[in-house]
Amino acid sequence: MDQLKLIFKRNLWNENQVLRQILGICSILAVTNLMINTLVMGLGLIFVISFSSLTISLLRSFIPHRVRMITQVFIIAAFVILVDITIQAQLPEVSRALGPYVGLIITNCIIMGRAEAFAQKNPPLLAMADGFLAGVGYTLVILFISFIRELLGFGTILGFNVNFAGFETWTIMVMPPAAFFIIGLMVWAASAMQLSRQQTQKPAPPASSVGQQASR
Amino acid sequence: MGTPAAIHPIVILLAAIFTSNMVLANFLGMCPFISVSNEYKTASGLGKAVSLVMLVTTILNWFLYHYVIAPLGLEYLRFILFIVVIAASVQIIEMALDRYLPELHVKLGIFLPLITVNCSILGISLFMVIRDYTALQTVFFGLGSGLGWWLAICALAAIREKIARNKLPIGLGGPGITFIITGIMALAFIGFAGTLMIQ
Amino acid sequence: MKKEYIYSVVFVFLLSAVLTTILAGANAFFLPQIERNEELAQKRAVLYVLNIPFQTDADVEQAFAEQIRTASVDGIDLFVQYDQSQVTTGYAVPFQGSGLWGLIRGYMGLSSDLDGLLGVEFTEHNETPGLGSRIDEEWYKEQYRNIPIEDGQPVLTDDDGDRKIDSITGATSTSNAVIDIIGRSASNAVETLEGEL
Repeated sequence: MDQLKLIFKRNLWNENQVLRQILGICSILAVTNLMINTLVMGLGLIFVISFSSLTISLLRSFIPHRVRMITQVFIIAAFVILVDITIQAQLPEVSRALGPYVGLIITNCIIMGRAEAFAQKNPPLLAMADGFLAGVGYTLVILFISFIRELLGFGTILGFNVNFAGFETWTIMVMPPAAFFIIGLMVWAASAMQLSRQQTQKPAPPASSVGQQASR
Repeated sequence: MGTPAAIHPIVILLAAIFTSNMVLANFLGMCPFISVSNEYKTASGLGKAVSLVMLVTTILNWFLYHYVIAPLGLEYLRFILFIVVIAASVQIIEMALDRYLPELHVKLGIFLPLITVNCSILGISLFMVIRDYTALQTVFFGLGSGLGWWLAICALAAIREKIARNKLPIGLGGPGITFIITGIMALAFIGFAGTLMIQ
Repeated sequence: MKKEYIYSVVFVFLLSAVLTTILAGANAFFLPQIERNEELAQKRAVLYVLNIPFQTDADVEQAFAEQIRTASVDGIDLFVQYDQSQVTTGYAVPFQGSGLWGLIRGYMGLSSDLDGLLGVEFTEHNETPGLGSRIDEEWYKEQYRNIPIEDGQPVLTDDDGDRKIDSITGATSTSNAVIDIIGRSASNAVETLEGEL
């Protein structure tokens, strides 16, 4: 149980894949201008990362070392294709908006990263929990980005109009540079908080850090 | 009623380099873009390697798609097949460089394995399929995307070298400021948009 | 050493065989639904450009069964709208052309006497997400509602020569391309259909 708690804290805050490790930026930033697209991509990623971690961990004693990269890519790609087919069948509108970006979940470095760093050395359920939480930590961050972009760029939240009188939407929020600015500021805030905490107290960060991330 | 896919290859080349740059407009290939851009020389090496692999893999994937995947109705497997082509090409390019151009291999060698998981490589193969490019358009698209990526990472690395000794607010150094520079670069590249006319 | 090599090859082969089987199964399972989605999307587009209101999928099917018939003119497959007394009230004609990034396909609605553009809908395009792809948004498409067609050309500019269609900020190239495609395709369609009437 302690180990699970450790994984929880690490993935959501201490080593948050986006804010700390700067991984997996590629495939999802482009779809952060609307929250609904971001949510679908995030859920897709959580599904893929959980099950590929589980599968890789289950097979870990059979996978020959020399072909482990290609094996991991195969397994990840298979789950991504499953997600892609499902989205096409169940959510055709979203599938049209996401275009090729669903396929790019394959090359999201986070999934390979968790497979390499955790899943191939740990028991299946723990690996699955690790993958799941890494995915959740990631999804929270990109949802926050898309929240800002959709609110300021379109004046809506998840498609609901929250425009108040006289608010002029910011075109820049819809365009790519906004995503870079927001993520840059978030990375800055996250590392500034970490640094100031390290200065005040040397031991490991307190448990409250998890709560802070969840409330963002 | 309008000729399909009539965009001139040169327009595709320029659009891929400037207006719809892989990194700055489509966010593809971000991870190495942020992490390998603190030194100009290394960045340029990676840029060259990425350009080479992009050009080779898009062309291979074009033939794979139009002569194998589409006729056999295997569209749903294209992600896996493209990735296999990319992984295999990277391996072959690495061995070929080692054998025939050992000097270049020393320079680019360390980057090649990283490239397999560079999203932009798979990304352009997927874009090429979705946009229905002809073989010629694909060559120019692959070339342009590679050059665009190279240009972007060199520009970023040069800026980062310039500001390396500047004092920054606590926590902003490293990735934080890199993202913000990238954002400003992306804004600048949008400025190219009006310069390209279609047809 | 040799044994390990064979094991690796066999492992990768087996793994890909298993994965491919699973994926082929999933594909076969979902394919009918994916095809049905595509068909529905086409029908929705046709109803939208003819300005026929609909809410649910059942509405779409009902309106299609009651009012729409397919026809073929000069090798172009189009949809013809009839009213209750079987009089033609409009046409939905497919169009396509090059956008910034590739083909833009869609349907346009034309009035029965070919003097008005009733609406447009895009069924397929590859414009940049968040920029050019905003041509899919309601406010943009609604600008093409009920545009008069004079001398076989849709009137997309007002008397001062200003455009009636607002461009999408940051996506000037896509906006220009779309106006160009619609203008050209509409006059082509009018020419083709006039010969048949």
